[in-house]
Amino acid sequence: MTRALRISQVGVRGVVGPGLTATHVVEFVAAFVAFLREPGVVVVARDPRASGLMIREVTVAALLASGRDVVDLGIAPTPVLQHTITRLRAAGGISIGASHNAPEWNALKFFGGRGRYLSTAEANELLDFYHLGRSCYVGHEALGTLTSDAGAIDAYLDQLAAAFDFDALRRLTVVVDCCNGTSALVLGRLGQRHGFRPVLINERLEGVAFAHEPSTTARTVALQLAPVVVPLGAAAGFLFDADSDRVAIADNRGRALSEELVLPLVADYLLPREQGRTVITNLSTTALVDDVVRAHGGRVMRVPVGRQAAADALASLPPETVALAGEGTGAVMMPRFNFAYDGIASMLAVLSLIVEGGRTLADMVDAYPRYVMLKGEVPLAASRMPAVLARLRERFVTGRGGGVATIVDGLRVDWPDRWFHVRVSQTEPIVRVISEQRGEAPEALHASLLEEVRRG
Amino acid sequence: MAKPCGESRREHLLKIGVSGVRGVVGDFLTPAIATAFAQAFGTYVGGGPVVLGRDTRASGAMLVHAVTGGLLASGCEVVQVGVLPTPTIQVYVSATGARGGLAITASHNPPEYNALKLFNARGLFFNGYERAELVDLYHQRAFRESVNAEMRGIVDASHLAPRIHLDRVLGLVDVPRIRTRRMRVALDAVNGAASVMSCTFLRDDLGCELHAIAVDPSRPFPRDPEPRADTLTDLARLVVETGADIGFGQDPDGDRLAIVDETGRVLDNDDVLAMVVDSALPRLHGDVVVNLTTSSAIDDIARAQGRRVHRTPVGEANVVEMMEAVGAAIGGEGSNGGVICRQVHLCRDSFAAMALVLDRVAATGLRVSQLAAKLPRYVRRQGKVPFEHGRLGRLVQQLVEALPEAEADTSDGLKLSLPGGWIHVRASNTEPVLRIAAEAPDRDVADELYEKALALASREQP
Repeated sequence: MTRALRISQVGVRGVVGPGLTATHVVEFVAAFVAFLREPGVVVVARDPRASGLMIREVTVAALLASGRDVVDLGIAPTPVLQHTITRLRAAGGISIGASHNAPEWNALKFFGGRGRYLSTAEANELLDFYHLGRSCYVGHEALGTLTSDAGAIDAYLDQLAAAFDFDALRRLTVVVDCCNGTSALVLGRLGQRHGFRPVLINERLEGVAFAHEPSTTARTVALQLAPVVVPLGAAAGFLFDADSDRVAIADNRGRALSEELVLPLVADYLLPREQGRTVITNLSTTALVDDVVRAHGGRVMRVPVGRQAAADALASLPPETVALAGEGTGAVMMPRFNFAYDGIASMLAVLSLIVEGGRTLADMVDAYPRYVMLKGEVPLAASRMPAVLARLRERFVTGRGGGVATIVDGLRVDWPDRWFHVRVSQTEPIVRVISEQRGEAPEALHASLLEEVRRG
Repeated sequence: MAKPCGESRREHLLKIGVSGVRGVVGDFLTPAIATAFAQAFGTYVGGGPVVLGRDTRASGAMLVHAVTGGLLASGCEVVQVGVLPTPTIQVYVSATGARGGLAITASHNPPEYNALKLFNARGLFFNGYERAELVDLYHQRAFRESVNAEMRGIVDASHLAPRIHLDRVLGLVDVPRIRTRRMRVALDAVNGAASVMSCTFLRDDLGCELHAIAVDPSRPFPRDPEPRADTLTDLARLVVETGADIGFGQDPDGDRLAIVDETGRVLDNDDVLAMVVDSALPRLHGDVVVNLTTSSAIDDIARAQGRRVHRTPVGEANVVEMMEAVGAAIGGEGSNGGVICRQVHLCRDSFAAMALVLDRVAATGLRVSQLAAKLPRYVRRQGKVPFEHGRLGRLVQQLVEALPEAEADTSDGLKLSLPGGWIHVRASNTEPVLRIAAEAPDRDVADELYEKALALASREQP
């Protein structure tokens, strides 16, 4: 079964046309306003996909018809959208964009007040409202009005300028692959306002044909970014997805770093200057996070994969106790700025670490304990998943395996120097198999996991 | 909160049918319906550029987004012309090779209503067969769903469209002669879509001394938007106070026109049509097309200039279809103040009507009241009674039997023509009422015909 449309707690996502249609958008946005309790404006932004214009029009119509004033940021990064929601004290916001997916996809992500992600309970309620066909349309005398906000990126940069030392960062040569996405807008402005001018590639906003898939992985970094780092003499290279909430890195030797390294690097920068000691991450993220965080006297809280679970964890803790939340996908959130995954802030954190540490990025990364992660995927046979998980547990936990099981999201099993995680993807009909080991690749473990899952 | 079913049915809070979509914005005409209907429209015209404009209603801006989204989803390029009169939008469609056009306007309906008017590639209303196909597409949800690579953008053409329309209108008349007269003109544009263009047209193009009220498109309608004697009292006063030669009253989308003479009297709509036709025929080739309910004055005027009059069922689309079929020069519907001038475009156009009347005044040097007085005089009785549609057949039969000597036309209800007058009874398309009209040169005959029809219809009342 190819899934061209997914309507779930995470929002609405699909291939525009065969999957995601204007009708889905108008109905879901109408349900979102019915769900929003707080009065106030709703902020909208989109990534450069051509279908984003259609979705923007329909979204704006549904918001105005529901009596909400709308601030449209046009094409803008999701972190800027979230920052604007906070700045304007808006009731919420909607991000139109499919982030790291191929151009034919698009999606709606919904945010509440202060730009925060919806909790699982809220997301469930919104989904129920959608299925009930709820709306709160108003009469012609109470319709909302549409405005724009040309200063959104500047206001966002003001906040970053207060947190990072742009004067120091200016000394670094940095190269960025914008993947034809929204990061180009912020980085261009950064140069104009603060004299910090990364060399940009694929900086043209593109609606249809991206230079390459806009996903933040070592594989995409290796395509165009990593090869130019050494010739340019750059201290590092960064790659952003289309809506700039994720980042991936190339080091100064032109190596495409694993996307798993983003969170440990940001933790290394941030923990020494944060009161909060807790780092929230998911069960599929590298164990290097534990080493780095522990070295700084912090603790790691592992939650199921997906932003929903991270948002729930964040909401359950006093805000000042959390230093960082993030995933191995290159999405990292520093609550001291914003409750937003923010690739651009993550880049600035890593660059600040380079400046302050007085060492090259390659030297820093090589000084970390070495972990090797293997990632695989197997087509999902949904009906057999419970049996697969039971068998894996039998083999690796209760039997002679002797591992420690965590069963909140599929099955994760831990040993002192290695672990694996088998779970069903929230976005694609596949089973993800991840294993990691200190020192060398867990080849044999990974092979037997794949075999077990394939057996169904 | 939804009203009880029976009440909703009577008030026609939402109507989706062969004339498009019309309803009260809010719980009835929703963005979901507008988006889906626009997507059906985009599917029907097969992608390509589609022109989109609107009148000044508060809900227009919201519906522009909903319709734009639906059009984009079907792979159309959306050519936005902003707030413009419906005839200007239609002319622009026909002039630019667009695949079709939409006007977001509920015309003369109250401000809580809005509607989508739909035009084909020639800027004409779809014919009945096309409209039925489009509505089927809407109901089947058989939309073209464009993928990302097929998505087109939005183009702003708002600055281009007005001139194309106005230049065509100016081509109808002797502009220097009108300018030389420097007529004093009063205008009430109901703060509608024609507000800005009418000022430009009358003041700059035709050199009139303009006294205008309700020409701010950012403000709500200051009066009932249908231009009639009882809604144009401010305009009538303005005419008298400023000593204007003439007053023009428009509806929110600038297709209808009412005229006030220099004494402050609002002319009968049939007289407006007759005056415009009288002015136009010497300059134009072709016959005249009007609906069955339009005054016989038109027949006298056309006969005097050697032209034929063709009658159609009520409705602009019917008149336009007939005008095309017979190559008519001019047409309209006396009942609702619409004048259609083929040389400009086959649509109701208050600008063409204004130009032709001013031309007539300039040519004759007569006052508007004098021109009206010279028109053939008929006495008209008209009214409406509550009526259930299913009973029309029996009423028609009874009327035919009651007046066996009359010539019967059943193309729209029943029109019975006698040597000394006529009766027309028809069921309204928009309300559960029967409309009755009778006309004769003589008041006694008109009264007798009207009372006869009314008596029979009242017997058939629910």
